[in-house]
Amino acid sequence: MAFDRELLKGSIALLILKLLSERDMYGYEIIQESVRRSQDAFEFKEGTLYPALHQLHKRGYLRSEWRTGETGKQRKYYSLTAAGRKAAHRTEQEWFSFTKVVNAILSKANS
Amino acid sequence: MVFIHESSECHTLEGQLVTHLDHIVSRVILLAKLPDNKHRREVAKELRAHLDDLGEESRSQGYDDEATARIVRIRFGDPHEVAAAFAFVYAPERWARRILQAAILVAVSTVAVGLVISTVQSIAAICTATSVLSTLRDIHHEVFGLAAIAAGYCSLYAGERLFPKSLARALLSSVTLGLSLAAVLAWLIPQHVALPLAAFTCAASGRLLQRVPIPFVWFAGTALPLLIAWMLFGRLLPGWQFPWLVWLGLTISCKALREIVRLFERGCVEDFA
Repeated sequence: MAFDRELLKGSIALLILKLLSERDMYGYEIIQESVRRSQDAFEFKEGTLYPALHQLHKRGYLRSEWRTGETGKQRKYYSLTAAGRKAAHRTEQEWFSFTKVVNAILSKANS
Repeated sequence: MVFIHESSECHTLEGQLVTHLDHIVSRVILLAKLPDNKHRREVAKELRAHLDDLGEESRSQGYDDEATARIVRIRFGDPHEVAAAFAFVYAPERWARRILQAAILVAVSTVAVGLVISTVQSIAAICTATSVLSTLRDIHHEVFGLAAIAAGYCSLYAGERLFPKSLARALLSSVTLGLSLAAVLAWLIPQHVALPLAAFTCAASGRLLQRVPIPFVWFAGTALPLLIAWMLFGRLLPGWQFPWLVWLGLTISCKALREIVRLFERGCVEDFA
């Protein structure tokens, strides 16, 4: 299913923060993980993911570090800072409240 | 391309495909208007590693180089869009850097103009057997004039950089600054507004005529506005008894500013572009 781009843009920070709250990841891994969990329903485009990662890094929610993997390749891993953890929790709460309200309106409209 | 080669130490992909991936990254870096080389290197390395992963994934599924290049291009998306998103993220840093660079240029230009004018006045004092100290004692009274020369020259230069394809727009930005300066000066020093304004106009028109590829034509750029100002206000203002001396100071200042701008472009133009 193709989601509206604007809808995805609004939730990208939350998705990144939540995925990184589980473990450190690099950009390609975040995309792979989002594809796997959504069962191919959506994937981040690079044009959305990397600028969003840099924006969150600038805000102090993420820290980044180049690490060399087993194949000898260098990859830039992102992890959450303490502020990032708080932001992840707050954004998640906001999301649940928002979807609850939207669902309430939609269920009334459909009934 | 220097950013790409630095980042491609451990790639397993080869040949045309590598060139293709490098091209995508360099397009993004070229258009992303990142604030400095450190950011450019960082983003290039990160995107290159990502494209490598995409390429290797396609190759592991049995696609050849051509198909892999096509798949990577589609999955990565339009480099313009990626670059635009990066440009948006780093806009505050970019503007802060530009403002800092502009402030340094204006400060250096003002100091250079001050040095030129005081040198010209000193030489004139020596030639007329007047005390150099008494000539330079009041130079701080000319601070508005000195700053106006730097502002006039730099405003047109800034206009040229902001609107490289439209001289009319570049001039408009300079004229707008000139009018704003006139309003401020008319409020601050209503009796002495003519000299700084004339200096501003001379410096801006000097810069304008420096674009003409005929030697010495730009001398007229500093002379004409000064002549008009002298005819209108010259007799009313002190220090204008020797208009040729004012012109000489202005013209040498414009020459010095031209060299300063050239040096500035060599050092900063990449970040300004």
